[in-house]
Amino acid sequence: MIKHFTCVICPMGCEIDAEEEKGKIISLKGNKCARGKEFVVQELEEPLRVLTTTVRIEGAEFNMLPVRTDKPIPKRLIPVIMEDIAKIEINAPVKMYKVIVKNIAGTKVNIIATRSM
Amino acid sequence: MKADVTVIGGGPGGLVSALFAKRNGAKRVLILEREDELGGILKQCIHNGFGLELFKKDLTGPEYAERLIDDINKEGVDYMLDTMAIHLSKDRTITAVNSKHGVFNIDSKSIVLAMGCRERARGNLVIPGTRPAGIYTAGVAQRFINIDGYLPGKEVVILGSGDIGLIMARRLTLEGAKVKGVYEIMNHPGGLKRNIVQCLNDFDIPLYLSHTVMEIKGKDRVTGVIVAKVDGKMQPIKGTEEFVKCDTLLLSVGLIPENELSKEANIEISSNTKGPVMTETMETSVLGIFSSGNVSVVFDLVDYVAETGVIAGKNAAEFAKEKWENKKFINILPGKNVGILFPQMYSYRDDLVIFFRSKKWIEKTVDIEIQPLNMKMRRFYARPNEMIRIKILKDKLLSVKDDITVSIKEVKE
Repeated sequence: MIKHFTCVICPMGCEIDAEEEKGKIISLKGNKCARGKEFVVQELEEPLRVLTTTVRIEGAEFNMLPVRTDKPIPKRLIPVIMEDIAKIEINAPVKMYKVIVKNIAGTKVNIIATRSM
Repeated sequence: MKADVTVIGGGPGGLVSALFAKRNGAKRVLILEREDELGGILKQCIHNGFGLELFKKDLTGPEYAERLIDDINKEGVDYMLDTMAIHLSKDRTITAVNSKHGVFNIDSKSIVLAMGCRERARGNLVIPGTRPAGIYTAGVAQRFINIDGYLPGKEVVILGSGDIGLIMARRLTLEGAKVKGVYEIMNHPGGLKRNIVQCLNDFDIPLYLSHTVMEIKGKDRVTGVIVAKVDGKMQPIKGTEEFVKCDTLLLSVGLIPENELSKEANIEISSNTKGPVMTETMETSVLGIFSSGNVSVVFDLVDYVAETGVIAGKNAAEFAKEKWENKKFINILPGKNVGILFPQMYSYRDDLVIFFRSKKWIEKTVDIEIQPLNMKMRRFYARPNEMIRIKILKDKLLSVKDDITVSIKEVKE
């Protein structure tokens, strides 16, 4: 089966056609460098993204504290993680990079604050 | 009040300018910021993808801002918050107002403009229809969600595929709204490709190219919009109209440099960039007034904004130490296929960093040509939504007498 990808590793955005069988790549067309191949391999195996969002904060100047995952997480878990994060409320003060949730949804990835507040 | 270098605006352009003015020996550096904290628009840009060029790290907007603010505090740069600059004169006097000092003047040896840009709104587009609630610019919606914690709507149509609109399509979806589609009048996306993939494709949000919003429906609240296909001249095609139900319309239709203060000081404004006409030192047409970031020209990347801040800050510090008057200039002109181009002049003082955009979407090999330097650089493509940056060292430019022209030429294969 041929699957189409747009590589997002660099601004070039190569349009890559990957011929794939049972998750293994047979041939690649359109990538201008080796990083494009790594990207497609990862996308086929498990697409990963850094999730950035906000949590409610009490006692700060603003209502929302920006947060992100400290590592990329599987894309398919984003809806579950968003629901977990929606339940959280924390209190000021918070320092940038403070861990807000440890091991979110069993991923071994932490949710960290992206500013002090 | 007196200062060596005064910076108007505390966003990324202003923070970097102030930092580099201080690092280059200016004694009193003062930032005027109209909001209640520094950081500018970065504070609401909670997504990642910032800083890959400057910090070699993938940062979110707030992280980028906090790093700069920490440096500002460490280096002893002064700043006044909740302070609005209301007048700027040619002799480098700024009139400002805040609740502590009332209306006051600042005499500054040099000034850096860093007011940034603002979003084009409904009024700029002239979309017919009623005037219900539920029409926002993408940046306003971004502030509502990311700072104030309000969801602006549940069923959203986005007009324009600029980066903020794409980012907001993803953000609204994550927060539970339904984004019906992104409609773009041009036949190519306005934002960066990586945002099309990560913000639209990842969430199955459709992008309709060569489409526009013809009319807004609804009395108290938006109830829907009428969209239509457009032809090659961007005119709606009869018979293609379609009603899309929604309660919110977001506009992501471009940014305009905010130059009201610059005009008061009689600074010459370029019709090409909508920012001041500038030299490689980031100096405007008024002696001792420099400019950095999006008030000069709208950039794609905050790292480019920061780069102009480094140059503006350094030169503003040098001017504050020892006034200069430029004696020689040459123009830098857009040649074939080049639209936006910045800066517009070279004054033989510094290295030259040119930023420009292709007028045309060219999806094949091109040569960037810089004459009369006989410089040629090959690239795989040239797209209007991606600014091209080229640095030329001063040594190479000292012998150049004629105007510089930058062109993008398609390579015949």
